[in-house]
Amino acid sequence: MSEAGLSIVGDLTAGFPARPGGYGTRAYGNTKPSGPRARWLLVGADERVTVFAGKVEYGQNIRTGFAVEVADELRVPLASVDVVLGDTDEVPWDMGTFGSQSTARVGLQLRKAAATARELLLDLASRRLDLPREDLILGAGRVSSNADPNRAFSYGELVGDEEIERDIDDDVVLTEPAEFTVMGSDVRRIDSEARVTGEAIYSQDVLRPGMLFARVLRAPAFGATLVEADTSAAEHMPGVVTVVRDGEIIAVLAEDDESAERAIGVVQAEWQGGPKGSSIDIPQMLAETKRDPVAVQGIGDVEEAFRTSDHILEATYYGPHIATLPMEPRAAVAEWDGDRLTVWAGTQRPFGIRTELAGAFRTTETNVRVIATEIGGGFGTKSWFPPALEAAKLARNAGRPVRVAYTRQEDATEGNFRPAALIEIKSAFRSDGTVTSWQFEATHTGPMGYIAQREAGTPYAIENAKATVYCSDTLVRVGSYRSLGAALNNFARESHMDEIAAQLGIDPFELRMRNMKEPRYRHVLEEAAKQFGYEPGAAPTNRGIGIAIGEDVGSYVATCIELGIEGKDIRVRRVVTAIDCGLIVNPEGVRNQVEGSTMMGLGGALYEAIEIGDGVVLNTSLSRYQVPRITDTPDIEVVLAGDSNEPSTGAGEPGIVTVAPAIANAVFDATGQRIRELPLKRQLR
Amino acid sequence: MKVTVNGDQRDAPNQRRNLLSYLRFDLGLTGTKYGCGEGLCGACTVLVDGQPLKACMSTVGAVAGGSITTIEGVAQNGELHAVQQAFVDESAMQCGYCIPGFIMMAIGLLDREGRPSRDTVRQALAGNLCRCGTYQRIEKAVLRAAGESK
Repeated sequence: MSEAGLSIVGDLTAGFPARPGGYGTRAYGNTKPSGPRARWLLVGADERVTVFAGKVEYGQNIRTGFAVEVADELRVPLASVDVVLGDTDEVPWDMGTFGSQSTARVGLQLRKAAATARELLLDLASRRLDLPREDLILGAGRVSSNADPNRAFSYGELVGDEEIERDIDDDVVLTEPAEFTVMGSDVRRIDSEARVTGEAIYSQDVLRPGMLFARVLRAPAFGATLVEADTSAAEHMPGVVTVVRDGEIIAVLAEDDESAERAIGVVQAEWQGGPKGSSIDIPQMLAETKRDPVAVQGIGDVEEAFRTSDHILEATYYGPHIATLPMEPRAAVAEWDGDRLTVWAGTQRPFGIRTELAGAFRTTETNVRVIATEIGGGFGTKSWFPPALEAAKLARNAGRPVRVAYTRQEDATEGNFRPAALIEIKSAFRSDGTVTSWQFEATHTGPMGYIAQREAGTPYAIENAKATVYCSDTLVRVGSYRSLGAALNNFARESHMDEIAAQLGIDPFELRMRNMKEPRYRHVLEEAAKQFGYEPGAAPTNRGIGIAIGEDVGSYVATCIELGIEGKDIRVRRVVTAIDCGLIVNPEGVRNQVEGSTMMGLGGALYEAIEIGDGVVLNTSLSRYQVPRITDTPDIEVVLAGDSNEPSTGAGEPGIVTVAPAIANAVFDATGQRIRELPLKRQLR
Repeated sequence: MKVTVNGDQRDAPNQRRNLLSYLRFDLGLTGTKYGCGEGLCGACTVLVDGQPLKACMSTVGAVAGGSITTIEGVAQNGELHAVQQAFVDESAMQCGYCIPGFIMMAIGLLDREGRPSRDTVRQALAGNLCRCGTYQRIEKAVLRAAGESK
């Protein structure tokens, strides 16, 4: 890993989630890192500083965030920092870019690496200038004498052509927030020019010399298996180079994309099996097939409290499957050079894909290089990335590089959907609004229990609280979606809290404050209400105002919204979200993420739903699946309410968890109609 | 047959070739994106004689004789177009995949109407999708570019 310059190396645990059990290494096909240490930072003789991280960029703006953190700790201009992400030959191992871990864990590791380099550069300068460290100052990539600024060395001069390697000092002193020069101020994306000129290369854009265009034969429904296929007509179509059968894959390889598309259309195939249910059957399927209970919370004795309480409320909430639908459908290009495989893929999990590829071809991981390109949106779904293996198999068969680029439809049917969920809540409470007992039972479709668990426990200070989550059968492949199950768990809990408030005639803000003890929660709610200009009132007030609070990946959020009902339409007009995500590296980045989370949450709250008929997903086309457009955009205001002395927590996901419940609560406030099933517009009377 | 792309004459042997595929794979101009293939997301928007066109729904033959501008042809002499600069200044992007399409659509709008209202901007861009949800910033960027253009 050495080359000329100062290399800072360290262990790989930063690339492992804080709560790995919450993700399940087996579910994601990952193995633990084999190499114990890797290079995180290089200070070069050319005055460039290079950052290496196994995370990938799919819009969260971590490339800028990492550069900002390193520039501040190392006292160099932001423009002198380069960031290398997601190339398995170049960067430290990482489990995957999900769970809003990049700033919280890898960012901190990079700050330590930069601070370690800074201290060493001070030592080197002290020797070269024959001055004690206390008489030196660092700035603009130089170490100079306090007394005589002309006596100075640049970092490049100090490291010279030598190869110096140092371990990250875990106890190195990090810069105090008060001393930040770049961190904490608004910074424009360092990669924005490439994004506005078309220079940024996404996985759909990778073109290699001699590359063939593939189209893979697809099952009509999830779980269907091939009985037989006749490919003879396809073999003779113009432009077709070959038709490959490799295990379960049947694919046409052609010299251009349109020839491949025409040829796959003439393959005759017969399929059988797969679940035959429809979307309207899912609530019943959830109730009937719930299994594998996991106790997420258990405080006091809920049953005893229910027996002795005056007020009891029971309600069931439901959210359907929705599509993640990033703008870039998945794509991968694979190229073999002897036994060595290179795959370009727009995946959130390059190292996990490398493990899968090495396993599939019975080779070592050192023979496989996965390069994560720019990624056109992910939101969780691109941890699942089948085109990488498809392209690798086809390229091996063809002896030429092969591109497998999903169509919009394939990206839906070969990708995955957010689980649907059925959530039953029973609560007991006193007339003053104090909730005394809380029972939460959530079943999220599919086998991944960690999705259902996210934020299933109540954060309110309730003496008796029990939360249990379940898995179930599923009609479609499910997977990660921004905030996993937290968005639906929060929708149910925060709707229910509003129902309690309405039953007692108490203002929803007041009810929450009465039951919430955690100061960070109380603070974001107060901040959001203040910015919004919230005026108390027991719903329904006909104003169309709703509030909700939530927590995800260690960050606290509160949202106040205002909407209007126009006929059968729900128009969200204004959204104020306060977020506490601890130390903020780039306020501009946090605001952008919360704004985006708001828009994504708005679609799922108001109109998004996957329709399934006889096992087939019916609305993969954008003509039949509505997503938010610019004409649906409310005024969104983001309040940054955190304390910079607290560690950084995630900002990419939390902003979504309060959106659906705040809108549902506002619909109730406007109309008096309590809607417990998403999407709301479908249920509005 | 020849077509004009970003001011250059280019060979176009197949009139029936899908315009988006031609630009991306035959000319290597991958800044114009594939998003849905149905003309419903706007990621593939280019300008033909200044008018926005969804390239995925067109063929090379259909635009023969016209002058095509893609996102790669917008900046002049290394200087960003006012619309591009406004997107940078407003941080109007996240993943960036949809952004070339938005910029082309916005340039087409501002060529027709130099001082559009907020509602006009919204109506003009209603056929472009940004799943990252940066619409509020995109709107600001277009209004900013309109305000700065002479």
